[in-house]
Amino acid sequence: MINTLAYGLTIGGILYIISVGLSLTFGTMRIVNFAHALIYTVGAYALIAALPFLGGYFVPATVLAVLAAVPLSYVIERYIIRRLYGASIDYAIIATYAVLLIGVDITKWIWGATPIPLSDPVNQYLNIFGVSLPVYRLIIIALSLLVFLALEIFLRRTMVGKIVVAGLEDREAVSSLGINVEKYFCLIFVIGSCLAAFGGVLYSPITTVHPYMGFQVLLLSFAVVLVGGLGSMRGTFISAFVLGMVMAVTGRFWGPAAETMVFVVMAVVLIIKPIDV
Amino acid sequence: MKSINTTTLKKFDLLFIAIAFVMLGYLVTFQRTTDFIIFCIFVVSYDLIYGYMGRLSFGHMLYLGTGAYATALFCDHVSSNPLLAILAGVVCSALLGAVLGPIVTRTTGACFALINLAFNQVGYFLVLIGFSSYTGGEDGMSAFFGNLGPINFNNKMTVYVFCLTIMLFVVYFVRRLTSSPFGILLLTIKENESRSQFLGYNTVIYKLIAFIISTGIAGLAGGLSILNYTYVTPSFIDPTRNVEVIFASLIGGAGSLYGALAGGITYMMISNYLPNYIQRWEMFLGIMLLILVFWFRAGVWGYLTRFSGKPGKEMGS
Repeated sequence: MINTLAYGLTIGGILYIISVGLSLTFGTMRIVNFAHALIYTVGAYALIAALPFLGGYFVPATVLAVLAAVPLSYVIERYIIRRLYGASIDYAIIATYAVLLIGVDITKWIWGATPIPLSDPVNQYLNIFGVSLPVYRLIIIALSLLVFLALEIFLRRTMVGKIVVAGLEDREAVSSLGINVEKYFCLIFVIGSCLAAFGGVLYSPITTVHPYMGFQVLLLSFAVVLVGGLGSMRGTFISAFVLGMVMAVTGRFWGPAAETMVFVVMAVVLIIKPIDV
Repeated sequence: MKSINTTTLKKFDLLFIAIAFVMLGYLVTFQRTTDFIIFCIFVVSYDLIYGYMGRLSFGHMLYLGTGAYATALFCDHVSSNPLLAILAGVVCSALLGAVLGPIVTRTTGACFALINLAFNQVGYFLVLIGFSSYTGGEDGMSAFFGNLGPINFNNKMTVYVFCLTIMLFVVYFVRRLTSSPFGILLLTIKENESRSQFLGYNTVIYKLIAFIISTGIAGLAGGLSILNYTYVTPSFIDPTRNVEVIFASLIGGAGSLYGALAGGITYMMISNYLPNYIQRWEMFLGIMLLILVFWFRAGVWGYLTRFSGKPGKEMGS
């Protein structure tokens, strides 16, 4: 029971960290960004590449992995996505999917296709009501809450955040105030991508790292974004944890069905409340 | 191509297509051409939603796979008559389209792409794990077709002729469909749905009908591929393979029937021969997709018609 709860919260936390970037780019640019999955994968691989150099210390390696996402996402934004503003959304989907294909093939080229397992960086267990839980999972839950709070403060309290929120609502009105919206969107894109890389780093010790790890998580995080409502930060937060719990509870009864159940929930939500993009 | 007048082409298009595919058969062996033909049927079905109705789907493999599995299951459990089995595949796919259609056709844009992808993922799971006792899970299942009167469907040449005939029927049907008022209405939905609603059309019904027709044809392609391969694996319903048909549709030029055929052939040529020379196949596919999206949106057929003097109407965009 507690195990299921903790598992659901862990999955929810990671899903939140990954999908909030997707939600931000979706809300600001109206672009479905398949390349998000690439950044997620690259984050995990950058961690693996950085760990031996840093003597196996997890935290500095994480920082490096997240920083590695900055130039990559900037290039993607500058040369692919910015060229597709205003174009049909189909082309944006196809172009970012193409970026994902290229990137996955490059990771396969560099690291090979075999899955790489990572050990739990904390490797300690905490006893709660007679159930031993890995501390690492509790850290993930705490970090996801921290990310949520930081983003809330950033978006509601700072000037940059307010411009971004205004841009989410009405892009043209903001640019008519003489603000260079694209600059801020680029910033948002980079922040979202860094969070994706962070999510990849956090998730890799729980599963294995392989080139196609992004595809599945991407589908899940799209489900989170759609269920939470496009461009709604708090909606994404809630739906991530709800869907995480759905996965955990389903997985408890029938393991393989866990991810499929998320899509069933998403379909039900979309039937009740269709979204026009 | 320059000298061919487009009107004569339209008049005898079925003949031209048949000749082209027979020539292709001599060029790359008939067995491969059967593959090409089946894929072309699938691209045509996809183009009906993407090119004509303007909805990008990331889950069309679901209907191909449904058709394939329904055909194989029907063949194993009910009757080994190939015609009936393929018909069962078509009906099952169209039924699935009719069940899911009311949900997915209400959405547009990214939502449409993603909800299709989600359903495809569900279908893939069901085939791979959920119903693995019927479908054979990862190993797939085989289907053995009986003879249809004197016709032996285990002969590859028979399958080739059969598939070519079916494809000509599909091309004829889709051409009639898209040049009918119904097809023009689909184009108006693509351009501006609310305007066609203002004109008094119930666009929901038309979108649903187009979706069901498209899923039925996709199921037909699935059934034919079982006739060709005599086995089915979960790769027939694998959601990651959707990019193939999108690529084929784009490279040929979305929104044109002949473009879909040209795209299908081009894609199959590339995917059949290029991996022999280029190791990094996925990267090549990605780069090609980027080039198509940024500089080559009209596709092969769009450029051919442009050079033939008549500007092709409604290309890409």
